[in-house]
Formats: sequence, C-alpha cells, structure tokens
Amino acid sequence: MLRAALPILLLFALWEAAVIGLAIDPFYLPSIRVVAAAMQAQAPFYLDAYLVTLSEAALGFAMGGLVGVGSALLFTRLPVVKDMVLPIFIVSQTVPVIAFGAIVVLWFGNTLMAKAAIAFYLTFFPVTINTLAGIAAVDPRQVALLRSFGARQGAIMRKLLLPSALPRIFTALRLSASLALAGAIVGEWFGATRGVGAMLLAAMFNEQIVSLWASILVAAAVGGTLFAAVALAERAMVFWREEL
Amino acid sequence: MIQRRTLLAASLATPALAQTLTRVQLRLKWLPQTQFAGFYLAVERGHYRAEGLDLTINPGGPNIQGETIVASGAEQFGLTGGTDSFFAARERQLPVLCIGITHQITPFVFVAKRASNINNLEDFRGKRVTAWFTGAHLVLYGMLASRGITRESVNIQPQQVSVTPFINGETDVCAATWYNELNIIRARLGGDANLRLFAAEDFGISIPRDTLVVNQAFAGANPRAVEGFLRASIKGWREAKAEPAAALESVMKIAPTLDRAHQIAMLPEAIRLMQAGPAATQGLFALDAGVILRAHDFFVEQRVLQAPLDLAAAFRPEFLNAIPLAERMA
Repeated sequence: MLRAALPILLLFALWEAAVIGLAIDPFYLPSIRVVAAAMQAQAPFYLDAYLVTLSEAALGFAMGGLVGVGSALLFTRLPVVKDMVLPIFIVSQTVPVIAFGAIVVLWFGNTLMAKAAIAFYLTFFPVTINTLAGIAAVDPRQVALLRSFGARQGAIMRKLLLPSALPRIFTALRLSASLALAGAIVGEWFGATRGVGAMLLAAMFNEQIVSLWASILVAAAVGGTLFAAVALAERAMVFWREEL
Repeated sequence: MIQRRTLLAASLATPALAQTLTRVQLRLKWLPQTQFAGFYLAVERGHYRAEGLDLTINPGGPNIQGETIVASGAEQFGLTGGTDSFFAARERQLPVLCIGITHQITPFVFVAKRASNINNLEDFRGKRVTAWFTGAHLVLYGMLASRGITRESVNIQPQQVSVTPFINGETDVCAATWYNELNIIRARLGGDANLRLFAAEDFGISIPRDTLVVNQAFAGANPRAVEGFLRASIKGWREAKAEPAAALESVMKIAPTLDRAHQIAMLPEAIRLMQAGPAATQGLFALDAGVILRAHDFFVEQRVLQAPLDLAAAFRPEFLNAIPLAERMA
C-alpha cells in the first residue's frame, strides 16, 4: 500500500513545487492544493462521478473479459468458427470508437448499458487475441502427453490450455482496464448527466481548469481501482507466475 | 395501524400516478447551464408532472445532433441548434416539427477589441476572423455580402469552443453568444469599453436560434402532451425570470462545479434573447411567420438550402396557440 502511495505523494509534491517554484499560470497548471480543495468542496459530486464511471467501466470490462476468453476458447475448439468470426472481430475494431459511441447512444439511450457497451467494445478484442496467443503457445508435447493419459478435450482445456494462457490473459486484462475506462468516458461524452466523462466535458468547454484537473484525478482513481482489481485477481489466480 | 394504512395507501397510489404520466425526454443543445434554467426549474417544481409528463432532461454536447436524436424517436423533444439546423434537418426530410423558438434574435455577435482598430465591417478585410462553422459562418458571410465585402478578402477560420485565442490576440474577431462567450470576454478584457460588437441584426440579418422541436409521430399521436410540455416550459421560464436565484440553484444542483458568477450573468441575457423580437407581443417561444421566412430566405440565398422548404408543414404554432396569450407573456 505504502509502496503505491509513496510515488503518488512524491508526484503531488513535485507538482506543487513546480507550480510555486516556476510560478506557473494557474490556467495551465493549478496548484494541487486548489484542486484538492475544489474536490473536497464538491466531494459527494466527485464521489458520485467516480462510482458511476467505475460501474460502467467495470461492467463493460467484465463483459469484455468473459466474451474475450469465451470466444478464444470457442475458436480453439472449433477453428471453423474462428475462421468465420475472427475477421468480423478485426473489422469491428476498425470502427472509430467515437462513431460507435454515437450509434450506441441511439440504441441504448442515456443508460449505464450504453457506456458499458462501449467499454466492452474496446476490451473484448485484446483479450480474445491474447488468450488465443496464450493457448497457441502451449507446448504441443504437453497436449500429447495429457492425451496419451486419456484426457478428453474438455480436461485438456481446463487443466492445461487455460491455466497456461492465464498469464497472457491477465496481461490483456491489465491493458483492457484502461481501455474500459476510456470507453466509459467516451460513452459519457454523448449527453450523460453523471460520471467522469460528463465532468471532463463540462470542465473542458467551460474552461474550468481546476475542475478539469479534478476530473483527471478522478479518472485516474477509476483506472487505478480497475487496475488494482485485476492485479489482485492475478495474484490469486496465477500464483505460479514467479516461476515463469 | 395508521402508519400501515398510510403505507398501503401510498403503495396503491404511486403506481396509479405513474401510469398516468407519459415518460418523455428533452435533449438540450449544450451542457447544463442557465441558458436552460427554465426547463430545469420546471422539472424541479413538478410543472411537467402536473401536465402528465415524466420529463427527463438530457444534456447536449459537441457530438450531439438534437434533431437526429428526436427524429429517431429515441427522445421526444429537443432544444436544438436553431432555425439553421432545423431547416437542414427538414431538408434531409427528418420527421421533426418546430413547436417554438427560444432565442428570437441572433444570439451571437462578432467581437473585436477596440485597440485593434476594427471600427466597421470594412475593417474585417485582411483580418483573422473566426466563426463557428455550424451556422455562424453563414451569418458572417451574409453580413459581409450586405456591405459588398468578398469572403476571400477576409481571413475566415473555424472557431473552436474556447475564446482564449481571441483574448490572447491570436485572432482579431470572434463570434460570441450574448449569454456565454461575451460574458467571458467582457470579464477577461475589462468590459464593453474595450470591445466593439457587430450584431447581425444591424446588417439586416436575423437568425433565431435554440429551436424547440418534437418528433413528428409523437406530436401526431400526443398533441395534448406537446401542449403540456410547452405550458410547463413557459411556466418554468416565467418563474426563472421572476426568481433568478431559484432558477440558478436548479441548474447548480445538476452541475455543481459550474462557475456560479458566470451562470448568474448568463441567465438575464438568455431571458433577454427570449423576450426579444416577436416574443415582446406574441409571448415566449413565439413562432413568427415573417421572421422565420426571412431566415429561411437568407439560407436559400446563401445556397445552404438547395430549394425552398414547406415552412407551414415544418413550423407548427397550433400547440403554442392552444395556450392563452396572457399565460405566454413573460
């Protein structure tokens, strides 16, 4: 905990020192104390934004993780499906997220699901690809060994392929955590009333620099929470990682 | 016992009330600010509920086209760009109707610093002038044309949301709404004494903006709801004018990080634009056929509209006219 907090405190100290020492115009970088005071003054509002965006990103992230791992397993089992569906996955990723966002908001309206859908859209693909790569990297001799013991396809998947792919899956999940946050924020740029994205947009366009920085800090907190959750899950599930 | 009976009564009464309310949504053209205070105040005070409407206000933003959302039927009402964006939507045959106009005159002006020696429109020649390319640029073209100044002789650039480039002197003239950017410029450059304003109306052009639109199919099936929406909105705006502090709070509650002083300054300017022109005699949200026709003809002349539109089919004053004029006067 301290190891994580120390660099952040150091960064804040550096920030404050730069603002005072270099006499930076608050329009470009306000003092961290001013930002903190603004956040404290509107604490319930910022907390609400944190929780709203966190739940949108977490929901999209969870869906993206499940669909990503699920489709990679399906693709491994049925290569025909992989040949048919994976190209669609790839094409889907070429649609700019901002265009996709406009459509999603027309479909789902101003709902939590709309933002989660965009977070999902950004997260499922890296997970799919990395899971596939993780499974492909398994030594075929290990598969042959299990098969010689009479293991069925399902058991090989459960006992060998999936555990072997876990480190790569978690690498993808770490990347996806920040993508899910970006997805939720983009989703909130289409007329949301709550959340970090709505706050960022208002601060940007009203040129409220202090609340802009406050929003950035809240966004960082959401990203940090998601990332920490993935890291904790990884520590529990990939306990052998040190050996790799 | 009494408590249990009250609870029972409440549990029976609530669903019954909910059933009678029609769920509708209003999409704004921009982020929450006192430009829309009357609508927020009307929600807060239950005026829409009194008309049988369960109204949700959805803010707009840079990526949001109100007419498209309302045309899709996803939302029923919209406070959209203006007559310009509404004409464009009708030209694309989107099923939207205009049921009221909020800002009765062009809500923006072009601003120059007095120190830059730009004293009249002719002085725009060779200067860096910015305008929002969502419609304000056309007004600028029209203003220049009225003085026989060619567009090519002026360095016209698209304007971003921020007016900081103008304040810092990177541009010479910029567009500013009376209620928003102009207040920022006034505050940062020390008031009107240091500024020169160019209003479209002084050059024979008037483009009313902030149009209230409704989904055509919804209006056809629910004319009472459209009337009720207008009645509640007018009530909210009349109260916003009479009680600006309450109106301010209804917006600050939605967006507490807004700059309070800026929002206080915005409200009276927004109300002034709402009461200007035909609204002075025809009440809030007035749809004056003559004003609309002149704006329409301007866009036809500018070749923005390829062909004249059927204005009687697009602008529908019957919902407004169902409300007595006395109730519509602010």
